[in-house]
Amino acid sequence: MKFVVITLCMFTMAFFFDPWTPLVFWVSVLLLQILFSQIDWKKWLLFMLPFFIMAFGYFWTTLVFAKETTGPIIWSFGFVHVTEIQLDHALSLSLRVLAFSSLSLLFALTTNPVTFILSLMQQLKLSPKIAYGILVGFQFLPVIKDEFIQIQQAQRLRGVVQKKNAIQRLFATRLVLIPLLAGAVRKAERSAFAMEARGFTGERRSSYFHVISVGKVDALLIVLFLFVLVFSCTNTFWLG
Amino acid sequence: MHNVISFEHVSFRYPDEEKWILNDFSFAVQKGTRVVLTGPSGCGKSTLLYLCNRLYPENCDGILTGKIKLLGKDSSSFIPGEINHRIATVFQDPDAQFCMQTVEEELAFTLENLHVKREEMDNRITEVLALTNLSEFRYSIIQQLSGGQKQQIATACALIMEPEVLLLDEPIAHLDPYTAKHYIEWLDQLQQKRKLTIVAIEHRLYLWGDFFDRIIPLNESEEVSALSKRMTSMQSETSFQAIKIETKNFLKSTSFTLQRGEIAILVGPNGSGKSTLLKALCKLLPASGLVEPSFLGYVPQSPEFLFLTKNVKDEVAYGGGYDVDNLMDRLKLMDIAPSHPFAISHGQKRRVAIAAMLCDGREVILMDEPTSGQDAMALSELFQLIDGRAQEGTTFLIVTHDMEFAYCLADSVLLMDDGRLTGKFPAKDVWENDRLLLEHHLLPPKGLMLREKSFA
Repeated sequence: MKFVVITLCMFTMAFFFDPWTPLVFWVSVLLLQILFSQIDWKKWLLFMLPFFIMAFGYFWTTLVFAKETTGPIIWSFGFVHVTEIQLDHALSLSLRVLAFSSLSLLFALTTNPVTFILSLMQQLKLSPKIAYGILVGFQFLPVIKDEFIQIQQAQRLRGVVQKKNAIQRLFATRLVLIPLLAGAVRKAERSAFAMEARGFTGERRSSYFHVISVGKVDALLIVLFLFVLVFSCTNTFWLG
Repeated sequence: MHNVISFEHVSFRYPDEEKWILNDFSFAVQKGTRVVLTGPSGCGKSTLLYLCNRLYPENCDGILTGKIKLLGKDSSSFIPGEINHRIATVFQDPDAQFCMQTVEEELAFTLENLHVKREEMDNRITEVLALTNLSEFRYSIIQQLSGGQKQQIATACALIMEPEVLLLDEPIAHLDPYTAKHYIEWLDQLQQKRKLTIVAIEHRLYLWGDFFDRIIPLNESEEVSALSKRMTSMQSETSFQAIKIETKNFLKSTSFTLQRGEIAILVGPNGSGKSTLLKALCKLLPASGLVEPSFLGYVPQSPEFLFLTKNVKDEVAYGGGYDVDNLMDRLKLMDIAPSHPFAISHGQKRRVAIAAMLCDGREVILMDEPTSGQDAMALSELFQLIDGRAQEGTTFLIVTHDMEFAYCLADSVLLMDDGRLTGKFPAKDVWENDRLLLEHHLLPPKGLMLREKSFA
């Protein structure tokens, strides 16, 4: 459910070009986060760090290399002259990056992937074939990781040296990938058989054990988000 | 008594192969009986099983002739998914048959497939867990359970469908002998409680005791001679020394020596650190201590993990060794020299791996569970291979769960428990020491038991 709201927010945000809308939006998302969720803030900052850098990058490049050089100059540094329009564009772009990323992070950090997929299947009528396919994939991740390490170890014994250069190392993973994929295909077939032997046909199910319901909390969240959205979109009217 | 499964003149082949895997095959299983199908790998056991639960012929577009009747009806008259809950299946690989995280969710997944009403689900889950004595695992995460427990859970998942027939596809192939024995006893009680019909495929029957009422051999023509105890090839000089091997968090200080030409078997319960020790010895894991010589050969359970090149000959010569032709000749690899190492049989892959190790000048070879999932034919081939190399002076350290194989091959036995090496014993002392065997989840090998009987 969250997914729908957040996608909606993102799309709407994409159509606003002034700097205030994303700013208001970003601040209110942060506020919501502080008030209602138990997020590990250290983790959040760590994840946000690249986005901050990116936002600043956007800000700087639009500022300096913008095509639009009209408008009053508000600030100059050596030969760089910054006009008001430029600053406007730059701010709106970079704040938009921040708004988008904080929104997606809010989603990613508060959603359990299994619940998310079950919810997609139950509320949005995603085909069980795809949904359970993804779930099985989740189960395989740790197994594949183990196998990857095992293969690497075995090949190191044969005298494959770890390359220093990152690109060379990337190229060398090719050797590991072949046996890994061969094994994965075999495993995939086996688990497909196992699922089918349990009566899985991929058709829509009539009842669920874990019903993912849209409760009061979800409704409240939706209302809040929509409020924030409307609030930030209309800011031009009451902020002047 | 009526037949729950009956095959009349059934032949089957895959669409892209000329050879018929099953040829004019007939058999029938009566309700409430326990039947096992045996035969070497590739004889069509699995195919037959998949025909019984209708995974075939749909999933491989195979060509089928003859008549298959399941539960008194023609097999093709069932709609997809219908037959699967009346004839349920347990597969051999404990890692590749679950799709949810916890035991409860996995059981619920099965019930959802059957369109069971939500209110009933909870009851049925509680019921089947009580029946199988697995109630304590209800909220456990499946990936963290041991192999034996996973197989029990898989069986519970099959039973929750309330099937009339249970099909077992080599269910104990990946379990240590003690765990396997435990699983079989558990299954025995279940069968009596539920009056199930059990159809299993299995190529090694000795652990099952008298569990089955009827044994159907699928391919009688090739009689494999039973393994016999080998002559020792141990020489007096020491070829391998490990001193105070220790890893940071698991493996406790371990020292031992091996003689030239010695075959040592490393055994212990699942999770006792056997593989960790092997890897620590080869320096694949960071470990303190001294290994002499430091250049060891290592063959993992899937030998293909080692392969780096596009043909067998390059593979053997990869390490830059000399005398490649001679070595390949001795290991009978000349015929397959131009083949791709992924396209040869499992036994051949292992031979290539050993050849590659020897060619690198690694005279001590460590093998991790080479016996698991192998039929009698493959085991005998493996036995010849190891015995042959040992006679030429190669030293082996082998991890295995197969006691009979160990009994025939071993000069000495290293026992492990809980990250610690209990000690190195001459092989014959171990097999007769019941306390040691029990402590390490081992069973005395059949070869020995037969001999004792004849002496008594």
